[in-house]
Amino acid sequence: MKKNNIEGWLFVSPLLIWISLIIIIPIYIAFELSFFNVKIIGTSGKFIGIDNYFKLIKSTKFINASINSFYWIIGNAICQTFFAFTIALTINYRFPGKKIMANWIILSFIIPTVVVVVIWKLMLSSSSGIVNSLLINLGILDNATGFFSTPNKAFVSLVLINSWRWSPFLALIILSGLNSINREIYDASKVDGANFIQQFIHITIPNLKNVLFVLGLVGTLLSFNIFDIIWLITKGGPSNATTTLPLLIYETAFTKFRISQAATLSIITSFLLLIFSLFFIKFMAPKEND
Amino acid sequence: MIKETYLKYIFLTLSIIIILIIFFFPFFWIITSSFKSPEEIIATSTTIIPRSFTLEHYEKILFNSDFFTYLINSLIVSFFSMFISIILSVSAAYGLHKLKFYGNKFVEYSLLVTYAFPGVILLIPIYLLFAKIYLLNTYIALIIVNVLFATPFAVWMLKAFFKLIPTEIEEAAYIDGASRIIVIFKIIIPLAAPGIASIAIFCFIISWTEYLFASILISTDSLKTLPVGLSAIVGQYQIDWGFLLSGAVLASLPVILLFLFIGKYFVSGLTEGAVK
Repeated sequence: MKKNNIEGWLFVSPLLIWISLIIIIPIYIAFELSFFNVKIIGTSGKFIGIDNYFKLIKSTKFINASINSFYWIIGNAICQTFFAFTIALTINYRFPGKKIMANWIILSFIIPTVVVVVIWKLMLSSSSGIVNSLLINLGILDNATGFFSTPNKAFVSLVLINSWRWSPFLALIILSGLNSINREIYDASKVDGANFIQQFIHITIPNLKNVLFVLGLVGTLLSFNIFDIIWLITKGGPSNATTTLPLLIYETAFTKFRISQAATLSIITSFLLLIFSLFFIKFMAPKEND
Repeated sequence: MIKETYLKYIFLTLSIIIILIIFFFPFFWIITSSFKSPEEIIATSTTIIPRSFTLEHYEKILFNSDFFTYLINSLIVSFFSMFISIILSVSAAYGLHKLKFYGNKFVEYSLLVTYAFPGVILLIPIYLLFAKIYLLNTYIALIIVNVLFATPFAVWMLKAFFKLIPTEIEEAAYIDGASRIIVIFKIIIPLAAPGIASIAIFCFIISWTEYLFASILISTDSLKTLPVGLSAIVGQYQIDWGFLLSGAVLASLPVILLFLFIGKYFVSGLTEGAVK
């Protein structure tokens, strides 16, 4: 056992060193910066203690972005859970073309985000987008609508686009969990008269707890960190409705040139996410059986 | 009983149709649109079946733009990111899931928690750090960051594959006098090959699609990656849709080709490796 300990750490250490260097040094740099008032990258600033923290926590911009981020995580979680389970449960059945669908459903995940943006900018375009012309032809809309023109529409459109990108990938991971469930349990429950919904709640979900734990943790953190889709489509607008915390940090640093403030925001955000992760692991981690 | 099977059949058909429309139709429409004439693309009466056919957008992007430079940059960065990620994650996954050392659960969860940091949060300090050690405008800068994003999940994906390898095979090899290195290269890696293929694709995709860091850490035009090159066109006030669409199709082509050949390992790796 003792030998395993040393060797185990030895095999893990190259990755651990790589990751810690690229996380710990930058976090330290950000921490240091947050006590100064550096503005443009490369210039030096004055030490101002914890003023940045006080100022930012009270600022409406920070509060507004935090609320947006919260809605962003919730919206994405709901949409992606719905799409991912629909896809996973569908592919879990046998039908002609199932193999092809299972292999290529992931297409939206393997293409660059920029391509996702191009696809949906044209699909949802108000002048020549196919979604508008479909909705008009079906009689749902009278006139073409701008899907990114009002705060609410822009926010919902972005949540849907982001879910479109991620759901197939999540579906495949859920499918891996589904495949590991013993078919006989379903057959036995059928004999006992359980219907589809009862099976889903009492067999499928409990058996997926390992997979759902990882998806819940990593999925939430990944959703939170989404930057490129929002930035490339709305730049955080209209009227800051789609400015989540990552966008606020980016704007503060690279368009407003307030490096220290951006670093402070990074520290506050990292702290919040770390607390979330620790609580999630503490209370949601499945008990190890093997 | 009959009623339930009937209902199920309707549900299944319905969800297949919805999935086809939502997740597959956009690709059909974008690809066909990239062959339409500029007038047809921006016409208000949108067409599903194209009325015109032209290769002018592809000619323009292939022969009259920096597309190839961006493509080569993306290929170099993605290939090396993938290569390093594989070595680091296979080694770490072997230590975590085969050797079960003291503290392995802590390391396993810590790896997942690294997803609490990436993205824009690390962007500013990494930019400052790389500026200090002269790594801005280098491929290495992007490779370092891509490996950070790809490996934690790759290690988790490998777990299922490593668990499928019976311990007895390894033990038999040790009894025959094989060293740990021989066991890894002759038993573990060949048996976990589908798993390694899946993480290879995963790491390649993560690097191929990365935009944020590539847009900040690289400012020299000749070193830019495809996503950054393409996004410059998206941001323009007057978008040349034909140019953009053909660029989008071509930028997706390499990952689609890769997927065509080893994609089945990725999907079966994700779906059939029993995660228990």
